[in-house]
Order: sequence, then structure tokens, then C-alpha cells
Amino acid sequence: MSRVSVVIPVKDGERYLAELLDAVAREGADEVLVIDSGSTDRSLEIVRSARGVELLQIDPAEFGHGRTRNLGAERTSGELICFLTQDATPTPGWLDAVRAAFALDAQVGAVFGPHLPRADTSPMIARELERHFAGFAGVDGGPALQGAGDEPFLSNVNAAYRRDVWEQIRFRDVAYSEDQAFGRDLLAAGWLKAYHPDAAVLHAHDYGALEFMRRYFDEYRGLHATTGHVEGFHPLDALRTVRAETAADLRWLKEQGAPAGERARWAARAGVHHGGRRVFSALGSRADRLPAGVRERLSLEGRGDGSTPDPLGPPATPPPAGRPIAPQRAEDDYADAARVLREGAVPLLDPIPGMAERERLRLALVVPPWRRGSGGHNTLFQLLSRLERRGHVCSVWVSDLYGETAGTWPAVLRDEINEWFAPFDGPVYKDFADWHGADVVMATGWQTVHPALLLDGCRARAYIVNDHEPEFYATSTESRLAEDTYRHGLHCVAASPWLRDVVAERYGASADAFQLGVDHALYAPRADIARRGDTVVYYARHSTDRRAVPIGLMALAELHRRRPDTRIVLFGTDRPPRTSFPYEHCDVLSGPQLAALYNEATVGLCLSLTNFSLMPKEMLACGLPCVELAGVSAESIFGDDGPLALAPLDPVELARTIERLLDDRGEWERRSQTGIEFVASHTWDVATDEVEAGLRHALRERERELVTSPAAQT
Amino acid sequence: MSTTEKTDRETEVQQLRARIAALEAELVEQAERTERIVAAAQARTYWLDRWHLDLNALMQRPGAAEFRALVRGLRWIVRGLKKVKRTLLRGS
Repeated sequence: MSRVSVVIPVKDGERYLAELLDAVAREGADEVLVIDSGSTDRSLEIVRSARGVELLQIDPAEFGHGRTRNLGAERTSGELICFLTQDATPTPGWLDAVRAAFALDAQVGAVFGPHLPRADTSPMIARELERHFAGFAGVDGGPALQGAGDEPFLSNVNAAYRRDVWEQIRFRDVAYSEDQAFGRDLLAAGWLKAYHPDAAVLHAHDYGALEFMRRYFDEYRGLHATTGHVEGFHPLDALRTVRAETAADLRWLKEQGAPAGERARWAARAGVHHGGRRVFSALGSRADRLPAGVRERLSLEGRGDGSTPDPLGPPATPPPAGRPIAPQRAEDDYADAARVLREGAVPLLDPIPGMAERERLRLALVVPPWRRGSGGHNTLFQLLSRLERRGHVCSVWVSDLYGETAGTWPAVLRDEINEWFAPFDGPVYKDFADWHGADVVMATGWQTVHPALLLDGCRARAYIVNDHEPEFYATSTESRLAEDTYRHGLHCVAASPWLRDVVAERYGASADAFQLGVDHALYAPRADIARRGDTVVYYARHSTDRRAVPIGLMALAELHRRRPDTRIVLFGTDRPPRTSFPYEHCDVLSGPQLAALYNEATVGLCLSLTNFSLMPKEMLACGLPCVELAGVSAESIFGDDGPLALAPLDPVELARTIERLLDDRGEWERRSQTGIEFVASHTWDVATDEVEAGLRHALRERERELVTSPAAQT
Repeated sequence: MSTTEKTDRETEVQQLRARIAALEAELVEQAERTERIVAAAQARTYWLDRWHLDLNALMQRPGAAEFRALVRGLRWIVRGLKKVKRTLLRGS
């Protein structure tokens, strides 16, 4: 068995010294050395009266945390050298645990154990110690090894070293944190360190509030000297941290059974402690910028000297010491996407013959969070409402990637669907904890596809594609992940023939199309509203980039230059855009308000750089001719010269097209009439027919596997 | 395979398919009932959800049992007073 030497630096340590020396003797250490650097209390008397303890006295000026411990190691002979501080009392089993930790691996060069709070330790320190050391334990709370890349933490309050490893590395002569520097050097040299929860000592720095702050000043000053670490300080962050830490202290006290009165008493002290810590640690790591007098006053040890000399010298370019950040969230934003890319989709249930033709299906709609007026969600809920009325069993699952609905509970979400979009009798679930399978799970926005791919108990997966979403983003993670969603074999049901062709041709997805429906009860020509001959209405939602609002505004500026008397009305945004022409602003309008506006206006302008949207159809349904962009998606629905007046993405051409509709009564009449006739057949019921056919198509594709699979062929 | 065996096999397959269809229909019925129950519960708890009130969690908090006892006591007193009132009115 290895011989063990215990080295204890002491200065005025009478309070716990006798208890400590008794514990070390009880544990069976082979050699005990106390190095006293000028104690004026009873420390020397206690050491001299203890049996088997060697005393070495040094001049206080010679003391250095690294230097003195190197001296202690040199003056002892054990294969294992344990360092304890004068206020660290080993608990029973300490030395056995130290030995056991060294036996874990031949490469273990150092061992450390937890510092347990004493009965009178402040809750701030007790909690911090508990949390700090728990992080080093193994998964089962037992011993654990740490190597290169792990946190280099070591603490000479309670640590043990293999003599040959100490001889190779030695402690740096620094004012503080010699143990941390040793830990860093140890791991860099390829050794391991081990943590053993039973190698514990009772230990506490029971300073007053101000002393604590000054100690933090010294500690961070030492840390800066050894690693170059500069503690960040941002007042708001500091306030948040102090509040969170104080709350955690109070929770901890409650868990320990402290009565309310005691918790209240500690609340203020904890606030001062954590606040002081933030300030003094930041000051300590910038001590070299402070005047010597200030340094001396702030230092618990009264040290006013400048930077600490390091005879071994720091590494030529010391690696930057990053500020440790604890995990702040359970999962990353795109964890589901990563899981799908890594492991693939969860397998679907086996197909059943005839499932595509079954009268009633279990349909689950996975949607991202919504806002009032969201066009895409309106489409989805109009469809779901009608699918439900046809007897399908429908449910809504909110996939909240960014925590937007964190404060909204399911019943409220359900009410919003009914109030803002369409009647829905089914349940609404947040996240997928209660997921219970479906015949068809329908992904909607791109963010919902990866979560939907991880749902089990499904016969088929479909993708209600409202738009080509990769185009919503600049080249980015989001654009790439959005593209990825079309490549996972979901059967796409796209909101226009153009969009169907995009997903089929660019990504090889199987796809059907549906036509957006119009609520003809609301959007229809009205005899009670007089149609004006001078009004252009424009959907100027500038927060949506694909709406090409800068181009639209330039077109209207051109129109205003040509026809200063034309009345221009902008709507669809609550922030009036800044323009070079006068206009009337109408914010975000309700359905009935929009219908009234469309019945009063002469020409509508609504641009989309991606998929065609519902708004031009609603304008047409009210008999309002509309100008849209040519060469994008509108032709796939209306043809080249249908009810819509199409113009290239050019302000002058757009202005000219609007002007022609204002001037040419014949063309206006023709487009108005054909528009009404054209969209008459575009209803939500028809759209629901098309979507339902798409969902059954998805199931039929699965059934086809029965015919084409090798098992079926044998 | 003889014609009889083939017919028997086809019949068995048809019976199995009919059984699957019946089970699937049963599953849909069951799912509908379950979803309806959840939806009805959500409709009932709208205001609790709106105000972020979790009554189960609330009643676990210190003082909740005492509060309930107080309400029970008050209810007992009110009922007693009502009873006395009824008795007095009947007497008059």
C-alpha cells in the first residue's frame, strides 16, 4: 500500500486544527507535516502537543500558496502527498477513498474530494459547495475520472497527488489558484484526475460579508495571474444573477427545512453576498489596473503588490480561459432535425388494405404557433374545420420550436382557433407528450416536419405546404433545414399547382395541389357600397419580405407622380410605411372591413415573390381587379391573361398596369366580371375536397407498398 | 393448391380483412370519444388556463388545507343561519 504524507499549511488556525490533526491520525496517515508561517494564536501549541506531527516554521514573508506546498512535498516522503487547509477536517473514510480513487486508473495523477459545509456554514456557501461538487461525480453519484478537455478544477483544501506526478509538474509560485494551475498542467500533460465523493472534508470559509468580498477579490486576482481570466461584468446580467442566486439559496434553505423567519433573515445577506461577489470578482481579475493602495485595501491579505511573479513562467501564449456557462436549456432549437438527420424518421405503422378509402380517418395537424390574422393558419384551420365536419377525428398539436406559446395554455390556444380562424371542436395539445398516433399526421410549417417525423403510431405522413419556405430566409440554417423538409418522403399537398411543381421537381417529393378557398359569404360584390373610380388599395405588409413592399411603394410613387389625385390606401400593417407620396393608412383589417374596402376601391395591388396568396382572390371575389407579379406563381392558377392583371417586378410597369385599369373602363369591367366568375368555384369546401384527396393519396401510397414489397410478392 | 383450398383461403383472407376493418372502425370511435372528452375538458378549463390557475398545484400549497377548512366552517355557519331563519319564519 502506498505511503501517505499529509501537508497542512497553517497560520492562526487554532479553531479547527486539533480536530483536523485528530482526524488525520484516525485515518492512518503515515506522515503529517504542518508548515506554520507565523501563527500568533495557539496553533503552534496544538501542533506540538499532537503525536506524530512534524512542525516546520517559516517566515511569513516566505509563504506562497504554490511555493510552500512545494516545500511541504519536498520535506515529506510518501508516494502520495495529501494537502489539507487548516480548516478542512477529513470525514471518516477519507483516506480509504483517496486510495480507492488513485486505484481507478494507472494514469490518475491527482485526487480531490468534496468540501462539506459545517453546521454553521452560510446557506450561500453550503449550496454552492453542494452544487459545485455534485458536478464532478459520476452518473451514479460515485467516483469519476477527468482527463484532457474536462474542467481542470483541483482544490488544495483537500487534494492528493502522486509524488512522481508532482515532481514532474510542481505547483506554480502564484498568489492564489496554484491548484487550478496544477490541474490545467496535469491534464495537459496527459494525466487523469479523479473525484471521489467519500474523500470528503468538512470545510467552510465563514467570513463576514465584506471579508467574503475581499476574498473573492484575491481569488480572482490569482485566477487572472494564472490563467489570464477576466471576469465579465454587466450590471443587468449581474442583477439577474444575484436575483436568481438569492432565490436558489432560499429554495435550498426551504428544502433543508429552514423556517420562514430564518429564510427571510438570510435573504438580504444572500443578496449582499452574491452582489459583492459579482463586483469583487470582476475587480479582482482587473486588479492590475487599480492603484496599489486600492488593491491593498480590497485584498483580504492586504496585498498591494502588482502582478504575481511566476518563476516557472506562464505558457508562451496561455490558452484563453473561457467563462464556464451552465446548460441553459433542455434541448437545442433544432434538436429534432438533428435527431432525424442522425437516426432517420420513426417507422410508420404497417399499411392496411383499404385504409385510404375508410370513411373516417384520425387526422393530426401539427402546427407552429400562430398570431391573429395569420394567413397560413387561416388556411389550415379552415381546412381542418371542414375535415372535422366530414366526420374525421381531428386534433391539433402545437409544435413550439422557439417557446412562443410558453405562457399560453392549451384551452386558450383552442379558444383562439375558434375565435380567430374557424370552428373547431377537437382538442389542442401543446408539444407531443400525449401523442397517441393517427392515420395521417399532417406537418404544416417547415418547423413542424422534423417533429412530425419523430411521431410514432402513424399510417402515413402528409405535408400541407402553404409556401416554398426556404425562400423566406437568406442562406442560413433555416433555409437549409426548410429545404430538407421536402426530402423525407412526406406526401405534399401544396397550396397551388406552382408550389406542387416546385416541391416535385426541385426535391422529388410526391405532391398534389389544392386551391385556396374564398369565403364567399364575406367576400362578394355589395350593392350598398359605392365603387369609387380613383382608389388604389395596397397590401403593404412590409414585415413580410416576400411581399416586395419596397417595389410596391416605388410603383405607387410612380403612380402618384403621374396621377397626383389618385387616392392610395395602404393596409395590412400596423406601422405605416414611410413613403414619398401621401396615402391613407388602414392598419390590419378584419374580414368584414377588408370586404368593404375591396368593394369601395378601384384597383387592388398585392404582390408575392413566392406562392400566390389568398388576398387577390378575395379582391376578385368582391369584383375588384387586382395587379400581381408576372412570372412567379399566379399564372399557374389564372393563366397569362386571366382575371388578374400581371406585371413584371418593375415599379414603372406595375404603375402602368394600375393606371391602365384606372383609365380603361372596358378592361376594368372585363377583369372585374371574369374575376368574380373565376373565383366562384374556389371555395373552402372544394379546397377541403382536394386536401382530403391528397391525404387519402398519402395513405394509398402506403398501401401500394403492400403490392410492391418483396414480402407481398412472395 | 386445389380449388376448394383456394376458395377457403380467400374466404379466410376476406374474413380477416373484415375483422381488421371492424377493429379500425372501433379504434376511430374510441379515438373520437377520447378527443371529445379532452376537448370538453379544455372547454371547461378555459378560464383556468387563461389565468394560469392549476388548482391541483394550488391546493398543494401551504395554507390550502386551512383555507378549505375555513370555507367549510363558514359554509356550516351560513347553513346553520339559514336553517334558523327557516325555522323562525315557519314558526311565525
